[in-house]
Amino acid sequence: MVAKLWWMIHKDLVSEWRARRAWPSMLLFGTVVALTFGAQIEPLSQWKAQISGSLLWLAIFFAGMLAIDRSFAAEREEGSMDGLSLYPISSEAVFLAKLAVNAIALGALQAVLIPLFIVFCDAPLAAHPWAMLLVAMLGNLGIASVGTLLSALTSGTRHSGSMLALLALPLAIPVLLAASKATQCLGGAQIDADCWRWMQLLGAFAVVFSIAGMLLFDFARED
Amino acid sequence: MESKRKIPVTGIGMLNVLAAVSMPAAIAAIFFLAPREETMGEVQRIFYVHVAVAWCGLMSLIVSALAGASYLFRRDLAWDHWSLAAAELGWLGCGLALITGSLWARAAWSVWWTWDPRLTTTFILWLIYSGYFLVRGGLEDGHRRARVGAVMTILGMLDLPLLFMATRWFRGIHPVPQGMEPSMRTALIASLASFSALFLLLLILRKVQLKQAQILLTCESAAEMNADDSPGW
Repeated sequence: MVAKLWWMIHKDLVSEWRARRAWPSMLLFGTVVALTFGAQIEPLSQWKAQISGSLLWLAIFFAGMLAIDRSFAAEREEGSMDGLSLYPISSEAVFLAKLAVNAIALGALQAVLIPLFIVFCDAPLAAHPWAMLLVAMLGNLGIASVGTLLSALTSGTRHSGSMLALLALPLAIPVLLAASKATQCLGGAQIDADCWRWMQLLGAFAVVFSIAGMLLFDFARED
Repeated sequence: MESKRKIPVTGIGMLNVLAAVSMPAAIAAIFFLAPREETMGEVQRIFYVHVAVAWCGLMSLIVSALAGASYLFRRDLAWDHWSLAAAELGWLGCGLALITGSLWARAAWSVWWTWDPRLTTTFILWLIYSGYFLVRGGLEDGHRRARVGAVMTILGMLDLPLLFMATRWFRGIHPVPQGMEPSMRTALIASLASFSALFLLLLILRKVQLKQAQILLTCESAAEMNADDSPGW
């Protein structure tokens, strides 16, 4: 099961690497957003630490939507959607694999955006690297779980990209609130109880929506 | 046929009468039975309407998600009609709760808006269901629309507790009524009952309407297919 899952993930990563369908536009858009935000908050120097956490997560969300929107694009355009359902693995595993690929995409995006935010916005993101990594991973899973399911739901409809962002943003607000609050308090000298509470919320969201995604995925993608 | 149709019609008729009678009674109770609140004054009376529409809106959204789940299991468009009708009413209820709450907040807190958890949650729910109508509107096929709608309503309800927790930890100042005067309670219950009757009536009427629209659509497409087939061949 784990091996099959890994092959699914591997297949998507290799095809993304060869065709470069979504990641370059996601990374470039994220960079542009980081630059724009950095320039905007420059005059507000005393609030930088508070604002940069929220801006970071907004940038991650919107740039990430570019990649998540393409989750099923390859299958749909090349007509291998049926192939996907004929794989000798359960549809839950297909969902988990797609979820993992999207979370990895968001991770790549963060690997670019977090340093950029440190450089452009002077954001205190490296104060607690391990805790920041945990927040980043939990936030990724939350955004990716909602995004992957909604991407299956909207792929193939007209204006799927704008539809995805429109549907995912209000649903992902708990993730964005919790992740930006957690990021904000990680800028402080020590990690307090508040911080952990936000991380728990992030974890709860990721678990609830991953399970919901696995259960609803079959309904979302059939045509 | 005639006898079959009579039962739902009288059911709706009774509900009609109930809503028509209870609504003025509730309004009378709000204005004449309930006492003037000490600190907030007359403006507090909007509370009876506010709680009732917020309650009906939330109940409608829960009904919508349950009906959506039923659709996914049964694949009967009737469930989708229930789900859509309830989602529309939930959207309406959330919108009215926001407006009445905002009016009250302006008088009581002298701001139109605060980032209170219930306010924020209601507004985000309203946005989620606005997106739901948009995405439904972009789809042609009835079953596909129903499927997408059902998944969305379920996701909306799963999001609700997390959304509420997230916004509550942000900061909360929403008043929770403590120790109500008996006559105030009567007014609140009257208002809740009359709005519930009204929402139930609207739900059933809308469901019937959606059903008729679907029948019309099937007749039309059948007629089109006949028109296409007959002359040339």
